[in-house]
Amino acid sequence: MNALQVKEPVAIGPLELTPDVHQRIGSLTRQLHDALTGLGLTDKVRNWAGELPDAKSRLSYIARLTGEAAEKVLNNVDQAKAHHDHIAAETRRIGALIVKDPVAAVAKGHVMNFITDVEEATKEIDKNLTDIMMAQDFHDLTGQVIAKVVNLAANIEEQLVQLLILTAPPDSGTKPPEAAVAPTPPQQPVLQGPVVSPENNPDVVKGQSEVDDLLASLGF
Amino acid sequence: MANELRFLVVDDFSTMRRIVRNLLKEIGYTEADEAEDGVVALHKLRNSNFDFVVSDINMPNMNGFQLLNEIKKDDKLKHLPVLMVTAEARKEDIVMAAQQGAAGYIVKPFTKATLEDKVNLILTKLGLK
Repeated sequence: MNALQVKEPVAIGPLELTPDVHQRIGSLTRQLHDALTGLGLTDKVRNWAGELPDAKSRLSYIARLTGEAAEKVLNNVDQAKAHHDHIAAETRRIGALIVKDPVAAVAKGHVMNFITDVEEATKEIDKNLTDIMMAQDFHDLTGQVIAKVVNLAANIEEQLVQLLILTAPPDSGTKPPEAAVAPTPPQQPVLQGPVVSPENNPDVVKGQSEVDDLLASLGF
Repeated sequence: MANELRFLVVDDFSTMRRIVRNLLKEIGYTEADEAEDGVVALHKLRNSNFDFVVSDINMPNMNGFQLLNEIKKDDKLKHLPVLMVTAEARKEDIVMAAQQGAAGYIVKPFTKATLEDKVNLILTKLGLK
């Protein structure tokens, strides 16, 4: 039988939304609510809900930064290759001129022009290489943001495991609820790391010039 | 001579340590060592001679603020200029760094020109350039 074919509807007696099922769902909801309250998780659940959009914006920040870094690298590679191609072509041209008439090649300034060209091109290529190196700073910035998102995911997982233990049937061999509600150790104060959305945050600087202004205003 | 000064670059990300070292080299400071956190940095500072510290803030074991504090508490190290290079962009962190004795503060991402400006400014103020 084709897996995509729709089967004939069958009676699913026990799952029909009878008043009894409705009552059982209500009861489960109450149990879940009580379990969360008992675990002191209601606030945490509220916090998770608040942190998830933050996690989303952090992931968007990572995507943006890695995208920009890739773009910067590719642009600089394109520019460096253009300089390199120019020098390669000029080298062939000057080589041919020197073979043809070495004295004229020097006297007419072709060799000197070539040397100037090479010097300028190497300067530009060096700048391209520095920019490619600087583009790798995304690793540090995104690494810090990824660590925060992983920490959030680990937190949620830990709390869900506690909830699972608490709500497991009595004969499942899991630890009693008392063990599950053991408080988590207090976390060390965490530094903020890279600012993902500085636009509407007056407490953070938006660039080096603001840092310099702030320090200058303090007399540093 | 300025280019004989010895730098210690402190950052938990090896990529950033390489970037800063390479930039210092391009600027003209070829003598540099690295440390991955404040603990390692402090050990190196106490067991070798350095002239300048470039430090991240958010690091494991001992962060940049704690390192700065330890340096400024130590009679043999407190003369060292410490330039913070960090993603921490809160104004209170910048003010705290300045109050604790940081010689400068750079927010990531930064440019070669910014690093060059700050390093040279600090060295000029100290009469080392």
